[in-house]
Amino acid sequence: MAWMRLTGYADKFGVHPGDKIKFYVNCDGPKQYDAKLVKMIHGDTNPRGPGLIEKPIKSSINGKYKGRKQVIHSGSYGVVEDKSQFHLKSFTLQCWVWPTAPKTHPKYWKHGAQGLVTKWHNNKGYGLFINEDGCAELRINGKKITTSAPLRDHAWHFLAASYDAKTGKATLYHEPQIVYALDPEVKPATGKMPAPRHDSSPVVLAGYTGSHSKAATAASSVPAGIIISGQYNGKLDSPRICNRALSRAEIETMKLGAQRGMTERRNAGPTGALSKTIVAAWDFSDGIDTIVGRDQGPYRFDAQIVGCPTRAMTGHNFSGHNFDWKHAPKEYGAIHFHDDDVDDARWDIDIEWEVPKGFESDSYCVKLTTKEGDEDYIPFFVVPHVGEEQAKIAVMIPTISYMAYANEHLANNAGGAELLVYRVPIMQQQNMFLSEHREYGGSIYDTHTDGSGLCLSSRLRPILSVRPKYDHFLMQAPWQYPADLHLIYWLNQLGYKYDIITDEDVNYDGLARLENYNVVITGSHPEHNTGPQLDALHDYTEQGGRLMYMGADGFYWVHSYHPSYEDRGRGVITEMRRCESGIRPWRADPGEYYHQSSGELGGMWRYRGRYLHSVAGTGMSSEGFDISSYYSRTEESNDPRLAWAFKGIKQNEKIGNFGLVGGGAAGTELDIVDTMLGSPPHTLIGATSAGRHTEAYLLVMEDYGFSQQGIDGTQHPRVRSDIAFHETPNGGGCFAFSSIAFCGSLPWNNGNPKKNNISQLVKNVLDRFAKDGPLPDAPKSAFKHRGRADYDPPMNKKRK
Amino acid sequence: MIRIAPKGSPERDQMIKEHKACIDSMKGVPGCTILRCKTPGDTTDVSGGIHEYFELNRTLVRMRAQPATNKLVVICTKVEKEWRIGRLSGIRGVPPVFATRKAYDNEQDPQHDIFLMRLDELPESDGYPEHFHQGWKRRNDMWATT
Repeated sequence: MAWMRLTGYADKFGVHPGDKIKFYVNCDGPKQYDAKLVKMIHGDTNPRGPGLIEKPIKSSINGKYKGRKQVIHSGSYGVVEDKSQFHLKSFTLQCWVWPTAPKTHPKYWKHGAQGLVTKWHNNKGYGLFINEDGCAELRINGKKITTSAPLRDHAWHFLAASYDAKTGKATLYHEPQIVYALDPEVKPATGKMPAPRHDSSPVVLAGYTGSHSKAATAASSVPAGIIISGQYNGKLDSPRICNRALSRAEIETMKLGAQRGMTERRNAGPTGALSKTIVAAWDFSDGIDTIVGRDQGPYRFDAQIVGCPTRAMTGHNFSGHNFDWKHAPKEYGAIHFHDDDVDDARWDIDIEWEVPKGFESDSYCVKLTTKEGDEDYIPFFVVPHVGEEQAKIAVMIPTISYMAYANEHLANNAGGAELLVYRVPIMQQQNMFLSEHREYGGSIYDTHTDGSGLCLSSRLRPILSVRPKYDHFLMQAPWQYPADLHLIYWLNQLGYKYDIITDEDVNYDGLARLENYNVVITGSHPEHNTGPQLDALHDYTEQGGRLMYMGADGFYWVHSYHPSYEDRGRGVITEMRRCESGIRPWRADPGEYYHQSSGELGGMWRYRGRYLHSVAGTGMSSEGFDISSYYSRTEESNDPRLAWAFKGIKQNEKIGNFGLVGGGAAGTELDIVDTMLGSPPHTLIGATSAGRHTEAYLLVMEDYGFSQQGIDGTQHPRVRSDIAFHETPNGGGCFAFSSIAFCGSLPWNNGNPKKNNISQLVKNVLDRFAKDGPLPDAPKSAFKHRGRADYDPPMNKKRK
Repeated sequence: MIRIAPKGSPERDQMIKEHKACIDSMKGVPGCTILRCKTPGDTTDVSGGIHEYFELNRTLVRMRAQPATNKLVVICTKVEKEWRIGRLSGIRGVPPVFATRKAYDNEQDPQHDIFLMRLDELPESDGYPEHFHQGWKRRNDMWATT
């Protein structure tokens, strides 16, 4: 069964009027497809809601297009184009490796030999490999020798191979860094081999040249027309190529690499005579935030690093004293390559559209269909230029979070995902396609195909989880993009005029992107954020801006964009490391907490001293993915500072006991007010879901120190969602709705506030926040000194 | 480890009955749990199921924790219209395959059928000391984690 024969992506999430946007389409089978521009208003097909709503838009791009197959050449590697210096007769190759999947299952998607340092193609050339049995192997032309000792996975090994063309003698060394008591000795393997013959294939690090191809689909490979095979899974450190057979002692000295310009006072390493043998000596600790593997040797054969593998990884010499690569770069000479890394699909353009000047800012898709019944949508947003805003309301689409969840494989990879969701996951056609097409890459929630954590995500590939009609296994309901369309539908339904902006706009433009709006509305789950974005939001609310935080588990993880992809657009690749705490489907290893992109400490903003609760008033406390619940008004909701928000909602009314995500407004991930974790001390809670959640809801691990009972929704008081408000200086304010499921209640009863108290509540807030000028002053009695831990509970008041 | 209630035991029959009642009451909910909705399809008031039946609760956790290889899963074959039961391969790049021929017209019923299939497949002594093997040293145990 073919699950998705049509797939595509755009070169940007947000496009300004007057600018161009490009669309790339894979049409694998049908000869022709139709493209239509649509306004995408509601993407949830649940029959209890309004259903899919898309509005056709007249556009020059609407029409029929010739279908063609486009493929992604995934897997990361380093590549240096063919040079005469690599056409060696005698040679020595050496490197450190920390393989993560030296031996794979015969059905594994890329089962077979893995290249380490190769100038080898189709039985020509030389190369150091890990063979299909997981053993070190030297290849010269069609001949191979191996040590026949399997490399221990997740362990450092030193590998070297020397070959003397005069004698024909080849020697292969495999020296494990750690030798346990009962490990057999690995003796060097020797053999007679012919001298290498050469073709024009490049030198490849962490792979080898599979084929030279003139096929159209080979154009998106790097180098174009050369398909790299045998991508290595694991760390590679300090690869070297020398132009003669070195002795073992010389190989040992060569571990130090090129030490150029050596004098009596500086550097120490291979002697002048030995240095003359160096063809290339790569040092991956140099240029960690780049996509260049720097060669310190005489020819500067810098490798182009393709696929954006993980850098800033501890090398073979990591001492455990420094944990930030910037402070001990020489201990970070390893790159962790993966066979499923993908930085850019590099497809040919199929459709290019210049957005007319003045075009309405909103949510759009290019809808692709074939007469055979295939269908895909490529979502994008039209974002006004700064200074050309079209509305007083901005919806900030959480595109970094979309990238974090992009092409997520949890239901398929992790059997244990069921423990999280308390039922059997349901896979959609997108999940089925991705389970077979690993080359589309995974999400930051996944592990790579070698089991290591995935910390980099590109938007230059089809992201099938950012689609209308897509239910996510976590809730059997929309999540992220299609869930945010619940909000877009509601804004349309109630006739609000709004602009769309994205995370990257705020990251790059800062306060300028926000300050011309009266109110900024977040998406349902703005979990992943860069520092510049949070700075801009802080500046905005401090100067009187109003923020409506429509979801939960927001402002949680530290992200940074990779600087080396900025020539391809804003925010092409985002990075995040899952460090010491937080809800983590994988956990970064010691010494690997700092981003390769920016050098900043990754992990949770909380551990950077920027509590989640400080951004909009509430922060995550629990999660559960079975069903949702509802809210009740608190006594505090009658405070004149807040009562306006609950106008039209009775004191004892069940608020949001309906919805398209879990069946209620309070669900999935829940935020609470905690003045000890950054909620301003004057924050008011207007409604709470306290005491209403199931056993599937569990306290987040960063909130407790011991593994212990009593952390679920039937018992723990912090398992709740608080709808909260606080004023910010200069007539600003933050309103936090504190549940990811919340927006799923907005379309209920077509969003009619008379028949939907969630709609009524949000309308009350938005109407007040969207008005020109500052918010009304709080009563004078509200100005008083307040503690963080210290407060005056009603019981004490009664005692007075 | 508590045992998995064997075929024919009253505990097993009671678990099946409760599970079915919960699933039936969840029809229409965009989400699902093994609890009974007081009003079918409405999560305002829920009770029973995993909150009140200890053995059902513990058995479901054990089933959910099984590793990915050959694990049963639900596959949506037509959006909002048709669902089938499949099995995960446990191998990266090898997609799930359909496990049965039956097609469902709602997303909740396969949950119950999978519960029945797993009851038949899980040995009564699942997780007992005799199941310990060398793989438990290398995370190849019977408890999958994300």
